[in-house]
Amino acid sequence: MKFISIAIKDAKELIRDRRGLFMILIFPLFFMLVFGFAFGGMGQSNTPHKIAVINNDEGVYLPFIQEEINFGNNLTKILEDSKYENSDVNLFKVTKTNETAADELLKQREIDAAIIIPKNSSKAIAALISSSISPNTNLQSTNQISDNETATIIIKGDTGYVGFGISQGIIVGILEQYQDQLLFQIQSSLSSKSGYEQLKFIESKVEPLEGTETFTSFDFLAPGMIVFAILLLATTVAASLTREVEKGTLDRLKLSYMKSFDLLMGGLIPWSLVAAVQVIILFVVAVLIGFHWQGGLNSLILAIFVGIVGGIGSVALGMIIAAFAKTERQAANLGTIITVPTSFLVGAFFELPQVVIGNFMGQSFQIYDFLPWTHTLNALRTLLTFGGDWNDITYQLGLSTLLTLLLFILGVFLFSRNRLGAES
Amino acid sequence: MTNFIIEAHNIGKNFDGLMAVDGLNLKIRKGEVFGFLGPNGAGKTTSISIMVGLLKPNTGQVFINSKDVKEIDRGIIGICPQELVLWEHLTCKESLMLMGEMYEVPKDLLKSRVDKLLKDLILEEKANTTVEKLSGGMKRRLNLALALVHEPDIVVLDEPSEGLDPQSRRVLWNYILSLRNDQDKTVILTTHLMDEADRLSDRIAIIDHGRLLKLDTPENLKKEIGEGDIVDIKTSNPKKNKELIENLSNLEQLNSAIEVNGRINVRALDAVSKLPLIMDKVEKVGVRISELSVRQNTLEDVFIELTGTGLRE
Repeated sequence: MKFISIAIKDAKELIRDRRGLFMILIFPLFFMLVFGFAFGGMGQSNTPHKIAVINNDEGVYLPFIQEEINFGNNLTKILEDSKYENSDVNLFKVTKTNETAADELLKQREIDAAIIIPKNSSKAIAALISSSISPNTNLQSTNQISDNETATIIIKGDTGYVGFGISQGIIVGILEQYQDQLLFQIQSSLSSKSGYEQLKFIESKVEPLEGTETFTSFDFLAPGMIVFAILLLATTVAASLTREVEKGTLDRLKLSYMKSFDLLMGGLIPWSLVAAVQVIILFVVAVLIGFHWQGGLNSLILAIFVGIVGGIGSVALGMIIAAFAKTERQAANLGTIITVPTSFLVGAFFELPQVVIGNFMGQSFQIYDFLPWTHTLNALRTLLTFGGDWNDITYQLGLSTLLTLLLFILGVFLFSRNRLGAES
Repeated sequence: MTNFIIEAHNIGKNFDGLMAVDGLNLKIRKGEVFGFLGPNGAGKTTSISIMVGLLKPNTGQVFINSKDVKEIDRGIIGICPQELVLWEHLTCKESLMLMGEMYEVPKDLLKSRVDKLLKDLILEEKANTTVEKLSGGMKRRLNLALALVHEPDIVVLDEPSEGLDPQSRRVLWNYILSLRNDQDKTVILTTHLMDEADRLSDRIAIIDHGRLLKLDTPENLKKEIGEGDIVDIKTSNPKKNKELIENLSNLEQLNSAIEVNGRINVRALDAVSKLPLIMDKVEKVGVRISELSVRQNTLEDVFIELTGTGLRE
């Protein structure tokens, strides 16, 4: 079992080469953190948006409920109480202040947006109610309520700031729902004659894909980052194999009874374990910085297995590179030139345009589908992002395994021919 | 029955127009220390790489124990390359165990063999130290140990003393001699160090530009160019060296006179008694002596005699 000895040797070298190991594990981690931060996962999901409310509303007396009411206060309360869907986390952290102070907070980006409720907003709403319900009731306008009163609520902020864009979108939605709900509540109140009830905000009903309600771009990118890390292994494997050639240790091994199988199989074991460790580490980090993991432990175990298959593909690619590279540096450069564009081609960073070239087993086959890591990525997304199970990844894992096997055979052939025979 | 363990027939190797080995014919006896002597770039390492099957020759064939080198049991050869070929992150013991396992040495035997090698090559205390932390001399000794862990019949040592301090060199030389004397190994030694070749080799092949210039025992090689001393002269005007050599060559009492790197080497029996004759010619040519020394004939002089030049670095 010489391949076991080679595997132990490679594992020891891997672990003892702290700098190399650091690079293998930390470099992709760095990418994960950058992408997590850039694409909305990191610490931004389910955290309240900071806004300021400047309530200038003077209130109004509503004759049909015989009560003085301030809709500005009401709206402020609704903003304070609004929560994320299926969550106890508030949508907003509201600071009640004046316009000057709010401007200062906006400039400092202490808040994302400021809402200025005008002094006539209650009157305008009362006018809206009056005009809406008057055809059906005997309600008479008071001198306080004008039929043509309009109020403009100002949402103020830095239009070039992404935080403002997000907050603005949510606030506008809430205002529209508030207005509709207000009308509905008053009409119900009058028709049932049950008196005035506290107005409540009713959350909108949307039906997104299950589990994706709080998704950010990062949820699609995180599996891509894992595949990117797995692909980068090819560079490290190529450099490691070329180092054996360059330093002459491969010649030393070639002179022994070691066979190509021992060397390549021995190398495959620790590198596959590295791939598994990468999947676990990157997955944990992704979850910590905002990846919305769907599925249970089973999906994670399957993901590790998928990662190992992808890792074997990378080892095979590393062998192919090492079959041609003459020096370690050349292998590293060549590896980078090959793996980075491949990462893009498999869709690790963004979806590529559809280039369907045929059908395979009832599924459309795209040009990118020749790369095993495309299926690694699809399978990882299915498992980790959408909580799929074994049945959902059978096709992707099957293709990934088949293509990896072909790539591995090619890698073994090229490396054995170019590096393991007598030099010519 | 032939007593030769290695036979090289007309081997040649061409690297992009550079003839590294040119029609080399050699026969190496079982149990001898065979020295390959030549300057750097003479083709020694290339010749050896071909002879152990690491490099394919363009022409010729190599037989080991009468079998084509391509078909031999790889375990009968152990190579200690010129460069340090080591796994930096493995310990001495791990490196030796790994190579033993690659040569399928039984586990219990391997352990005792590794311990003995570490002891013999004074690496016992560093058995569990990773290679990266060893000194140059220790690495060189481990490099040798890795070639011996499977107890090969043929041990190839390519420039084994390169970069060693005198103490480490002495340890290494003693060990190489013990390989022949105590273990009956055939040792092929390449070196550009004359004293190393002279002290260790039973026979020496002098090669340059990939060609075999001479093959014999060190004693015979020295006799070949005649016994005697070398008078090494540096003149005040090297431009007149040629004229002086012509004058010296006419003297019957001197064996030869040649120019080596701007100096004149005169070979003669009892050279000291011939000095007045030499000085007479020096005066006649009209130059002065800047430096003069008399020393015994060495292998280097044999090489100079054969190639007409000094050893290249």
